[in-house]
Amino acid sequence: MGAFDYAQATDIRDALARHGVKYMFIGKSGAVLLGFPDTTQDADLFVDRSAENGRALANALKELGFELTDEQRVDLEAGKDVVQLKNGPFDLDVIYAPDGIEHFAVAWERHVDVQGFPVCHIDDIIASKEAANRVRDRESLPRLRAFRDWLRGQQSRGIDPHESR
Amino acid sequence: MTTQEDPLSLSIPDDWRQEFAAAARRPLATRVRYAFIHTYRPVLDDAPYRAFATLDEYRAWCETYLPSWLGYGRV
Repeated sequence: MGAFDYAQATDIRDALARHGVKYMFIGKSGAVLLGFPDTTQDADLFVDRSAENGRALANALKELGFELTDEQRVDLEAGKDVVQLKNGPFDLDVIYAPDGIEHFAVAWERHVDVQGFPVCHIDDIIASKEAANRVRDRESLPRLRAFRDWLRGQQSRGIDPHESR
Repeated sequence: MTTQEDPLSLSIPDDWRQEFAAAARRPLATRVRYAFIHTYRPVLDDAPYRAFATLDEYRAWCETYLPSWLGYGRV
């Protein structure tokens, strides 16, 4: 399995859109889409928890080449808090209940669209890492907070750093 | 640095500021290509599928089974 690449990112974006899945990129993968320069291994999706949305997600993943058993489809439909998928063309973490974010709807209100990729707001990405408080989060938080401040500085000068290119 | 800088960003180390600005100039496809890497992570990468009913269950699993150097343990 190689690293997650841009073609796969657009594949998942397009497949999830076709199936009407309500989700956002979160974690460092979300921050990367917002422009954060760092490395990561995982693509993390924060998915709205409902049976219908879970079913749509399972259908989209199947279309992308993930080999889901019936039991695994049930997990996605039930909205288990964390589902780790390494049975497809790339690794994917599906998170229904990230630390530090109370409701999907609240985070969705302030999400950022980056060329069709729905991404959690940088404040939510940081809040989630602060609440998780893992060693790896502690290591990345100072730079993520600096990136948030830099983004705000750009926006206060009328520059949209997420502008499509 | 210019006098128009937002006060918030004044505390950002110069090298980070330059990296953020450079990243913003790159097309999204390039940013993604530079960002996503793949290295083998023991235990974590050894199963094709895992699901955890609760976040607490997931955190406990990480702390019990993953090598501490991977950084998944809570502080």
